[in-house]
Amino acid sequence: MFVHYLDLAWRSLKRTPLVSGLMVLAIAVGIGITMTSLSVYHMMSMDPIPEKSDTLFAVQLNTMDEGNQWWTDDDLPQQITYKDAMALYKADIPAKKVPMMRTGFTVHMNNDQVKPFLEGTRVTGRDFFSMFNVSFKYGDTWTQNQEDTIAPVVVISEQLNEKLFGGENSVGKEIYLDDNSYQIVGVLNNWDIHTKYYDLTNGAFNNVEAVYMPITQIPALELPAWGNTNGWKYEMIDSYQDRLNSETFWLQFWSQLDSPDEKIAYENFLTAYLTEQGGLGRYTREGVSFGLRDVNGWLEYNNVVSEDNRILVGLSFLFLIVCLANILGLLLGKFLRRAPEVGVRRALGASKRDVFKQHLVEVSLLGLFGGVIGIGIAQLGLWGVRESYSYYSALATMDLSMLFAAPVIAISACILAGMYPAWLVCKTQPAIYLKTQ
Amino acid sequence: MLTMTNISKVYQTEKVQTHALRDFNLQVNEGEFIAVTGPSGSGKTTFLNIAGMLENFTGGQYMLDDVDIGKLNDNARADLRNQKIGFIFQGFNLIPDLNLYENVEVPLRYRGIKAAERKRRIEDCLEKVGLGSRAKHLPQQLSGGQQQRVAIARALAGQPRFLLADEPTGNLDSLMARQVMELLEQINKEGATIVMVTHDPELARRAPRNIQVVDGKLADFTLYQSREAVLDTANDNKMKSAVEA
Repeated sequence: MFVHYLDLAWRSLKRTPLVSGLMVLAIAVGIGITMTSLSVYHMMSMDPIPEKSDTLFAVQLNTMDEGNQWWTDDDLPQQITYKDAMALYKADIPAKKVPMMRTGFTVHMNNDQVKPFLEGTRVTGRDFFSMFNVSFKYGDTWTQNQEDTIAPVVVISEQLNEKLFGGENSVGKEIYLDDNSYQIVGVLNNWDIHTKYYDLTNGAFNNVEAVYMPITQIPALELPAWGNTNGWKYEMIDSYQDRLNSETFWLQFWSQLDSPDEKIAYENFLTAYLTEQGGLGRYTREGVSFGLRDVNGWLEYNNVVSEDNRILVGLSFLFLIVCLANILGLLLGKFLRRAPEVGVRRALGASKRDVFKQHLVEVSLLGLFGGVIGIGIAQLGLWGVRESYSYYSALATMDLSMLFAAPVIAISACILAGMYPAWLVCKTQPAIYLKTQ
Repeated sequence: MLTMTNISKVYQTEKVQTHALRDFNLQVNEGEFIAVTGPSGSGKTTFLNIAGMLENFTGGQYMLDDVDIGKLNDNARADLRNQKIGFIFQGFNLIPDLNLYENVEVPLRYRGIKAAERKRRIEDCLEKVGLGSRAKHLPQQLSGGQQQRVAIARALAGQPRFLLADEPTGNLDSLMARQVMELLEQINKEGATIVMVTHDPELARRAPRNIQVVDGKLADFTLYQSREAVLDTANDNKMKSAVEA
């Protein structure tokens, strides 16, 4: 019977091409706009590393004197000091942990064939890549020895490798960062994450870095931080060493804790560490305070998906409702004009339920057409967003789930809009129309 | 087969209460051909709609094949209507977008009959009304008489035991009306019970049984025999002459 209803629906649409076209257009525009904002929202709020987001933890330490406040909900700074970062990095637990910060260099090849250009660089530990599931196209991360001996080695992105070496295996080759040459030890595969969750201080949706180097280069090169540096008290910082020893927060720190037991052990360790630091007179504070947030908790804590985005999605759904209200009006007109035919069908044995189902199939078909065209409009909208704001290039896309969601939302919305007209037409008394046809 | 006891139907508006039927009592037996006559607005069509379960009645009892219709919900009534009742309307009421084949198919689809069986029945019925070769035509490509024959084919396709016809010849000229009437008579002879509302006394007289509805009541109840039957049974020439006259 469903196929028969589909056939009837198709005939009905063909019988009134203008009204049907208007309804499809209305739902398509509504769906197009809704799916544009919903897709961006979906990408923003999506788990960026679902396979291990619950085992990666951002570490926060409160190393401020009692009475100092931070602008976070729990008064914890999002970053930590250099000395804490290095102390935690050198600790025995957990097995995998990385301090990190963003800096940058002028990249060139010390020849006139490549015009120098500025690239963001992540200075971090050698486990960064395995922790955040970044795979290598060529080579591997630097060795512990290279990190300890501050060897001039780097890992570069696939895009940078393409730009400088035409995509060939560049491991062992040299590039120049500012005035120093560095040996390439690894080339990453394309790493395309929509949310740069491991460092939200430079914008949650910026691209990942093109160059990676050992954390030990920070003091050696006296690297500036391309990110936030926050202090909570007055400190005389005249030299880079002063900066390293200061209580300012400018590094991010992540630990991988694979089990609840590991997490408990690490919490105990952090408690002991902060107690010891307090005891050393670094700060005056009753008790200890720290934060361990997994990836999704970290995104939520930092309001990566802002209230504005939610409002935008809400507004786009309101627009869809306006479109549906128009469709409802058109459907009312269309269906009620068909009441005489419904009367005949009822007289010939159709139950109210049969009539209701027939009309719902018709609105579903409208929704399907509207949804498919709506996907096209949404793609156009997302293309517009990408063209207007490069910041959104990874976000303004529609993944498979959104592609499937579009027709489902469209059909559901149409069914919602069509229920009242369908109910109205199915409850009309057939006898009224049989005589008047 | 059909028994209506004290059936009443009241149409209620804010200010006016209209009694379309009151104390309506009727028994229809299997295989009867009944003509229902009466002035306009007397309640003939209301009676037919109630008989066909297209309208609810306000009071009384309506039994169809021992089933108390008043106790059935809408879906059960639709099922029963689909299985037992065929309708023929004055305005034919064919669905304009569907060709003849598809129009005749409508009640069969609601009954859930398989495609092969549907095809057989549709072809049989269209053949029976002389339109077998026009199955793919649309209703508007046919004359009024042909459309009414399609409507009869549609009513017959479900093999109903009870055929309700509301002025089936009202929109037809006399020649076509006669053809349709002959078709109905043939169907009745094959076993279907027919109740036909008509304004045409000539047609009414052809029905073996004739009832009259006035002011919502079965005011008169006359048993007619068809002209041929009277002629067959008349045993004197005087009576035959009177009938022929």
